[in-house]
Amino acid sequence: MRNIVALCLLLGFAPALWAGELAQTIRPTELKDKPYSDAQTLTTLPPRSQVEVLARQSGWMQVKSTSFKGWVKMLSLRLESSGQSKRGDNGLMALFNVASTGRSSSTVTTGIRGLSEEQLKNTKPNPQALQAAKRYAVDKQEAQRYAAEGKLQAQHVDYLQGGQR
Amino acid sequence: MRTNRTIAMLCLLGAALPAAAFDLGNIDWKKAAETVQKVQKANAEISEPQEITLGEGIASNLLGAAPLLDNPPVQQYVNRVGRWLTLQTERPDLPWQFGVLDDNDVNAFAAPGGYVFITKGLLAKMNSEAELAGVLAHEISHVLRKHHLQALKKGARAELLTDLANDAIKSKGADPRFSKLVSAGTEVYARGLDKDDEFEADRMGVVIAARAGYDPYGLPAVLQTLQSLNPGDSTLALMFKTHPAVADRLSMLDQEMSGQLAKQENQPDLAPRFFKALGAGKK
Repeated sequence: MRNIVALCLLLGFAPALWAGELAQTIRPTELKDKPYSDAQTLTTLPPRSQVEVLARQSGWMQVKSTSFKGWVKMLSLRLESSGQSKRGDNGLMALFNVASTGRSSSTVTTGIRGLSEEQLKNTKPNPQALQAAKRYAVDKQEAQRYAAEGKLQAQHVDYLQGGQR
Repeated sequence: MRTNRTIAMLCLLGAALPAAAFDLGNIDWKKAAETVQKVQKANAEISEPQEITLGEGIASNLLGAAPLLDNPPVQQYVNRVGRWLTLQTERPDLPWQFGVLDDNDVNAFAAPGGYVFITKGLLAKMNSEAELAGVLAHEISHVLRKHHLQALKKGARAELLTDLANDAIKSKGADPRFSKLVSAGTEVYARGLDKDDEFEADRMGVVIAARAGYDPYGLPAVLQTLQSLNPGDSTLALMFKTHPAVADRLSMLDQEMSGQLAKQENQPDLAPRFFKALGAGKK
């Protein structure tokens, strides 16, 4: 299983992790033909309609049930916390753990470390780790180069006002 | 400069005194001047270099609690994504520094001056670069708006921050009061920031991700994932305790984003690059 995940990742294949996920509508929700606001409305689903999620595209999720299939606004859904949820485990944890065991010398277990409330209150500085972290910092040019490589284009967007000003 | 301001404030104070008391002989000018100085001190802001030094101390403490993930390609990837996001903000020239903590807890942390950390546990719950960008942009917003410093100002050690601002504490060398301030700054993570500051960081985070060219729904997608997890899971405990309820955050973003960011909806989420970049670290 771990190998399959690793293979998928190596091939740059992103598994559709939400596929098969169950969700419920949290309000009356328009079921659209396509993932656009001005697409044809197929029907309006009442609150608490059970659906299966097939895919996500930006703010939209493709859903189906026994009687319909279409697109709804992502934020009108609440994902069910199911025991078998694939979401919430993208398979990367297995890889991280492989990486750690492959470098046994560098992963000394320290029982008292951790990010709980109590541990954060009693932590001691680790300047060596901070210096190590600084080695990975990138400059503006490198950040721009990597963004361009991903075909990301900077946009002008104003901050949302939050109804307070 | 400071003297001029004191004089100006004394004049204002004088003008505000009731007419009956406007007998110069009755005014304790020394006491008035002290009051004005106290007001000035309380309002003093720490400088940007002081903010960075304080943040460095807090970041060092955080790394004392959880080590850095020993995976150079993943660390570099997160820095590339994060640094690009910061270029879309009002503080592009801070010494921004990103890191992945080797911890299964699901959480992320920002320290003053531009230090941002996310745990391996949170990274493992994400499904695209846009989701990573959304979370990093939320943390970046805490730094932009100095939310951490605001939390310190409201805490029991507020006077140490004021003393730092007035150069009464030296951030270089071994001033024990500076260490105390750094400890107080680290404890903010256990207590959490102001809830309104968390909502603000959500609102700003989706915009910064959109400015950087990503699908703006990455952050809400991560929140939706968190909502679907078992809330009793111990790896979620501190993050859930220190943040507003996920349902409230999603509902706020729903209202705020509705009808906005429509032009950015079709921007890429770079899911393939995300999985490739994280998978490459396994060798």
